Amino acid sequence: MSVLILAIESSCDDTSASVIQDGEVLSNCIANQEIHKLYGGVVPEAASRAHQVNIVPVVDAAIKKAGIKKENLSAIAFTRGPGLIGSLLVGVSFAKAFAMSLEIPMIEVNHMQAHILAHYAEEPKPPLPFLCLTVSGGHTQIVKVTDHLKMELLGSTIDDAAGEAFDKTGKLLGLDYPAGPLIDKYAKLGEPIFKFTEPKVGELDFSFSGLKTSILYFLRKNIKENPKFIEENLNDICASVQARIVSILLKKLKIAAQKTGIKHLAIAGGVSANSALRSGLEEMGKEMGWKTYIPRFEYCTDNAAMIAVTGYYKYLKKDFVGQDVVPVARWSV
Amino acid sequence: MEITIQSINELEEVVKALLNFSAGRKKIMFYGEIGAGKTTFIQNICKHLGVKEAVVSPTFSLVNEYTYHDESLQSEQYVHHLDLYRLKNEQEALDIGIEDYLYDDYYCFIEWAEIIEHWLPDDLVKIYINIFEDSGRTFTLEKNFKG
Repeated sequence: MSVLILAIESSCDDTSASVIQDGEVLSNCIANQEIHKLYGGVVPEAASRAHQVNIVPVVDAAIKKAGIKKENLSAIAFTRGPGLIGSLLVGVSFAKAFAMSLEIPMIEVNHMQAHILAHYAEEPKPPLPFLCLTVSGGHTQIVKVTDHLKMELLGSTIDDAAGEAFDKTGKLLGLDYPAGPLIDKYAKLGEPIFKFTEPKVGELDFSFSGLKTSILYFLRKNIKENPKFIEENLNDICASVQARIVSILLKKLKIAAQKTGIKHLAIAGGVSANSALRSGLEEMGKEMGWKTYIPRFEYCTDNAAMIAVTGYYKYLKKDFVGQDVVPVARWSV
Repeated sequence: MEITIQSINELEEVVKALLNFSAGRKKIMFYGEIGAGKTTFIQNICKHLGVKEAVVSPTFSLVNEYTYHDESLQSEQYVHHLDLYRLKNEQEALDIGIEDYLYDDYYCFIEWAEIIEHWLPDDLVKIYINIFEDSGRTFTLEKNFKG
């Protein structure tokens, strides 16, 4: 009999559900207007109460899209943490009720582990061991993956995440939120002619708070001399900021690869959609003779397929939890 | 009360002044533009309190929870570090359970608290951070807002 798992993700803004069969993703749905149309409502704003409105429609959509019957599910996987407690509670409570009614086991999943295991949702899958740079709005970390469920945190941000550096810079430049994709777009039209200093932190740790402040000082100084400075130099400013953020990320990943001798490098998380990071990683890989892996965008941002993949590996190890499980706000990989 | 410093190295003095000024009040709001140093200042306060975990920006996570050992209470205590920057309105703040953090017995540091002015308890401390000549900062401390 095949292993059929339903997975729930509700750790931050998006509510998502996915169905996986023997390690192959059958559906990966994120609550959006289309799903809500079926229920006659609209998607609420980002907040934990929104998950309560989203969860049933999105689970229903994932099950229908997968073309399965819920009675055939082998287990239910859910994000236990890290994340916002109120948001996690919705997913955890739903999973408990669902598991109890179907009399199937529950699998707890670490959201940060799942981001990395999203690489196993489809080919090409990185062979073990590999290094993963997880970059998103809230996280920036380098993880050594020795086995599917055995990971070691080599370094992480000591203040802001890389995604936050993009968004806050965007705010300083007067761009709409989220600014990451806009900075990427304008950067393509400009040249990195402005230099921003590199932060001084531990060998494999990151810091983006100082960069944010130096960008602020840089803009204030130039606007004083020319009030139209941003307007006239937007593309070059974006190119410069993006180049600096990407160079910081890749430099640390390179050090990690050289230190560990691992030749398979992956990126994960929402910021891996950034075109300069993608091309920079590929170039570095070619130059150093390393193989690089970038998942499809659908598997980069928060999604339930990555929870499903992780759940599948845990299912094979019979790593289940009981009805007394509670969500956790902090949880290292 | 107003404190002016010339560089980040003097933050420890501001932390001591703040804890003295707050006189046991544990709900502290931080105001200042992007890059003013709100998170950096909170990192310094947490370090002073003895927080062991990494204190990082909660802009995306919305709420970070840290722990420290309180000598006088002889117990583990929580610090809740919030950032409402991404939230669009009061309702979203209420949806993440903001009242729980504002009215419990633990330290609660909130960045970008402007959207929840209505819900703030009377007995709190507000800190305004202003930048001057790049590396300089002025900290304006206020407390108690009855009525």
